[in-house]
Amino acid sequence: MKYVRQVATVAMKDVRAELRTKEAINASLAFALMILLLFSYTFDPEQEMMRQVSGGLLWIVFAFAGTLTLNRSFARELPNDCLDALIAAPIPGSALFLGKCFASFVLVLAVELVSLPVFGIFYRVHWTPQFPALFGVLLLGTWALTIIGTIFSALTVNIKLREVMLPMLTYPILMPALMSAMRLTTSLVNGQPIPEDDFAWLKMLIGFDVVFTAVSLALVETVLVG
Amino acid sequence: MLAALFDSSVWTAMAAAAVAAVASVLFLRSRNFLYDSLALAATEIGLLLLACGIVAGAIGSRLAGGLWWTWDSRLTTALIGFLLYAPYLMLRRAIEEPTRRAASAAVVCIFALFDIPLIALTVNWWLARRTVSLPVSAGWTILPVSLLGAGCAWIRLRQEQQRRAQDAERRTAQEI
Repeated sequence: MKYVRQVATVAMKDVRAELRTKEAINASLAFALMILLLFSYTFDPEQEMMRQVSGGLLWIVFAFAGTLTLNRSFARELPNDCLDALIAAPIPGSALFLGKCFASFVLVLAVELVSLPVFGIFYRVHWTPQFPALFGVLLLGTWALTIIGTIFSALTVNIKLREVMLPMLTYPILMPALMSAMRLTTSLVNGQPIPEDDFAWLKMLIGFDVVFTAVSLALVETVLVG
Repeated sequence: MLAALFDSSVWTAMAAAAVAAVASVLFLRSRNFLYDSLALAATEIGLLLLACGIVAGAIGSRLAGGLWWTWDSRLTTALIGFLLYAPYLMLRRAIEEPTRRAASAAVVCIFALFDIPLIALTVNWWLARRTVSLPVSAGWTILPVSLLGAGCAWIRLRQEQQRRAQDAERRTAQEI
């Protein structure tokens, strides 16, 4: 119970700081809308092909925009040596990490939930009929994005090339999760339920979340303290 | 022949990834820099073999079917594996402090090893409908390739140990 409270305190602190300054969420949202608009130059929104690639496009937007938020997750603590204070705080490293994770999760999910209707309007995809299932895939995919993003954000926080290193490290590792999420999203945003053949992808997405949450929690003390 | 070369270099690179991950875990447990050097040597040689393997595979595919890249599932997996481990070297270069560098690199190595089976599975599902253009046969080539890999890794390990010793001496000299 105490552990849950510690996680919640860190998460609330991060969300509150972000909502007051809005430094990452504004950039992330503007960036997401910008890429969504840019896609219309490359793909003809009227064409049938658009429906086949819609899941892929959507997750590319989420992954790029999400990285902007995740980059700030630990970098926010650098001024005034806040990071040292957080590490020295009498809470387990995993509580600090999970708190940061949940905060980023909420912020990234918020950006996604704003971009989704815009995507639907621009490209005329019917995402509303299958929204509950789509929301489930969004939750699983976003958790994969945030857990990997947060642990590597902590790993790269003290490096000069932080902004470059984070996407270089995270995208190849996220490949299985992104591929599964793209696959599942494509049928869902076209108004169809997940085909039975694709249940293996759903299992892969869940498996990715479980495996990497466990690995991250096992290694988090090493990442934070060195 | 080229397909066999591709196959044996990929298998050797996989072995290198396993060695690097085990060495990384051992480093995090013991903080002995020998294991860090071993992980670095294994990863470097593994990356080199992967690069050679991908080139051999592409040439083999060109000779067999006239196309350089046919999205063969094993070649694609090898390419993603290369992209997975390349940032390991970049990360090492970006961190100055030796303990911090070794610990961060070890974390990346462990994450990457857990990711390899997932990547192989998903790429296989993704490209399942396409025909496999390379025949699966490592054959006898795996022996020379893996021995060459092990030899190179041994040399790199010795180099790295020497460099570390020199660094230590330089630091002592500066302190004096």
